[in-house]
Amino acid sequence: MTRLFLHPLPIRIWHWVNLAAFIVLILTGAQIKMGDRLNLFSFETAVDVHSWLGFVLIANYFIWLVYYLVTGNIKIYIPPLHRPLEFAKKALIQAKFYGFGIMVGDENPHHSTFYNKFNPMQQVSYLAIMVLLIPLQLITGLFLWDPNLFLPIVNLIGGIQIADTIHIFLWIFFSAFMIVHFYLATLGHTPMAHIIAMFKGYEELHEEHGPGHGEEHAHSEEHGHGH
Amino acid sequence: MNKKYVSIFLVIAFMIFPLCVSAAKGVPKQDEVQLCLMCHQDKGLTKKLENMERLSLYIDGNQFMASVHRNVKCTGCHNDISMDSHPRVKTINSKKEYSAQMYRKCRICHTDQQLSKNPIHSQLMARASCAECHGSHYTKGVKAEKVAVQENIYCISCHRNQLVMSMKNGESLSLSVDQSMVGNSVHGKLKCTECHTGFSKTAHPVRSFNSKRDYAILTADTCRKCHEEASKQFETSVHLSVLKTGNLKAPTCTDCHGAHGVASTKKDRTVGLTSCNKCHADMKPSYDMSVHGMALAKGNAEAPSCSSCHNAHNIESTTMTTKIKDGCLKCHKDAAKAHNKWLKNPPVTLPTFSKAHFDVVSCAACHSPDAQRRIYLTLHNRKTDKPLSEEELAKLLDTDPGKVKDGLDTNKDGKVEGKDLWNMFALLFKKGTIALFKGTLDVSSSVESHMIAPKAEAVKDCTQCHLPNAKFFQNVFVAVKKSDGKPTLIPAEKDTVRSVFSIIPASKFYAIGGSSIELWDILFIVALIGGIAVPIGHITLRIVFSPIRSLRRMGKGGKK
Repeated sequence: MTRLFLHPLPIRIWHWVNLAAFIVLILTGAQIKMGDRLNLFSFETAVDVHSWLGFVLIANYFIWLVYYLVTGNIKIYIPPLHRPLEFAKKALIQAKFYGFGIMVGDENPHHSTFYNKFNPMQQVSYLAIMVLLIPLQLITGLFLWDPNLFLPIVNLIGGIQIADTIHIFLWIFFSAFMIVHFYLATLGHTPMAHIIAMFKGYEELHEEHGPGHGEEHAHSEEHGHGH
Repeated sequence: MNKKYVSIFLVIAFMIFPLCVSAAKGVPKQDEVQLCLMCHQDKGLTKKLENMERLSLYIDGNQFMASVHRNVKCTGCHNDISMDSHPRVKTINSKKEYSAQMYRKCRICHTDQQLSKNPIHSQLMARASCAECHGSHYTKGVKAEKVAVQENIYCISCHRNQLVMSMKNGESLSLSVDQSMVGNSVHGKLKCTECHTGFSKTAHPVRSFNSKRDYAILTADTCRKCHEEASKQFETSVHLSVLKTGNLKAPTCTDCHGAHGVASTKKDRTVGLTSCNKCHADMKPSYDMSVHGMALAKGNAEAPSCSSCHNAHNIESTTMTTKIKDGCLKCHKDAAKAHNKWLKNPPVTLPTFSKAHFDVVSCAACHSPDAQRRIYLTLHNRKTDKPLSEEELAKLLDTDPGKVKDGLDTNKDGKVEGKDLWNMFALLFKKGTIALFKGTLDVSSSVESHMIAPKAEAVKDCTQCHLPNAKFFQNVFVAVKKSDGKPTLIPAEKDTVRSVFSIIPASKFYAIGGSSIELWDILFIVALIGGIAVPIGHITLRIVFSPIRSLRRMGKGGKK
């Protein structure tokens, strides 16, 4: 048994706080948005919890941001865009693996390490999520929390309905994304491998199958440390 | 007893009088006057007229001798009486009639030509008897009077009488001025000519007006001379806009303030109420029953009357503006703080949060608990942030102002929908104007807006607005400003603000729940189904392909 260290403590804290906050925010958001169809919470409770957790999520985002900026490890999110063809090719191979290879027992083309955690598809999607979509969700959330406080910016984007539309679209996206994200996290060498790694920080590998060899553990990292 | 002596005296007097008169025949004027005064200096000498009025026959000899007619014998005017005879005066119906009859006596000396020289005098002669302006026995010389008498007294000498001016349309305007009313008014110390410019003791131009209304409108220019600020404010008011459209009921200065009896609005706070109620009487019962009206009735000096909220001169249509709120906030200065005590917005409720509500929700929408609520989507120019008027729209759309309403309801079903908002937005965008339907929540009528209840009864339930299909979001109207400042209201479907088409045209109107776009709910459910379908599909494929996987694993194992 070897242990592959993938997730440092700040990132593990960030990940699970993020998960809990996202689930509750999605549900309270649904209650706020569809109060005529849902009855999970009272309107007041839904708004209170949603507002508090929104700020928790903002603070939590900074754990992630500060950690990766200070350690300089943010580069794991940056695709090698100076070699676009090579990167596109790798992404295509990765997509082929998920679409077909995994079915027939092919080896995962990507082998995670601490400094190369994400496969090309993860790199692109997580970069977009962490740098664009989550900040956009947090900012539009802030606008909706107190529209008049940010009135000049809100007016600049066309009005509060526009901010709301962005916020709602991202709510829809993240709701679907989380289901797929959870499913992909179960595709480790055991269904719980990546999930346990996200708690413990490291993933256990069978000694006879070093990283990059066995089909199960070879692709064991690529989802678990995802987000 | 006294009566008895008086009667005996009168009988004797009547018996002796002809003898006296006869004896006095050919006596000098001075003696004639003295003879007449023998009886007429009795202050109690009166004549009962047919209409039961009492005509005083008393003459103050000294005053008469100081008058311009001091050199005229009594019989010079009273030419039916002579030193020889004093016939019983024939039946007189009223003082007015007697006064009119005496007018003929004046003309013995004062010729028509002389009297008609001044056209105003000529007009006055048709309306009033000589004595009404000049008095009778104590008439002063007009020229001397003009110099000696104060201007106001000079004017009032005629205008205290029942003078009227005829308008071209046949109306009559009373020119009678109650001197005590002017004296008690806020303008009591002004000279008449400070308002009535062009007039003086020596000049009295002849003017003619189409109607009383025309005259009142022109009077506003007089007020402007001193009340410049109020006049400027009035120019932005809905009252002037309505007046400009030809509506003669719209008020000008004198309609609210009166003419000669202008009261101080600072001292008398009911001035507004009284004058506004002349036209807006339908608001009175709701105001009287409101927390404000009841406070005023109890004598609370701080209680607001009409102008406290609506302003006095720069009154705007309340559907097209949220300025009415400034009126409320003048007194309720801590309203933002007070609302934030229950309008919770964790983790910290800032003043901007209550302001976000104040900007969109009228005070009455919550504080008039029994009112029916409406959402008003008022059409604005996004760039200028000013309402787009029907006239401007008609010009842009190349149609008549009256047809703008039809232009908004594109499918002609009588109700505006989200798609209609988008169509209008797109149409105006092509013409280079970016439209914005600004949303506000208000009560459905101005009567309701005055029914402000005590604080404890105000609506504090967020879900009245913040649920899809919320109670307060059931009645939606599109409002377009008319040239008179009032809005044309076009009913809209209740889901207009929940339509995906209204996102851009009404992009600044947002209420959690209330304006929740329905289509996104469906999209959310579709996305959830899609999200679940991915793992299900993938797992299914993995199961289908599992024999191949097993075979390959066995192959590898075999090699091993």
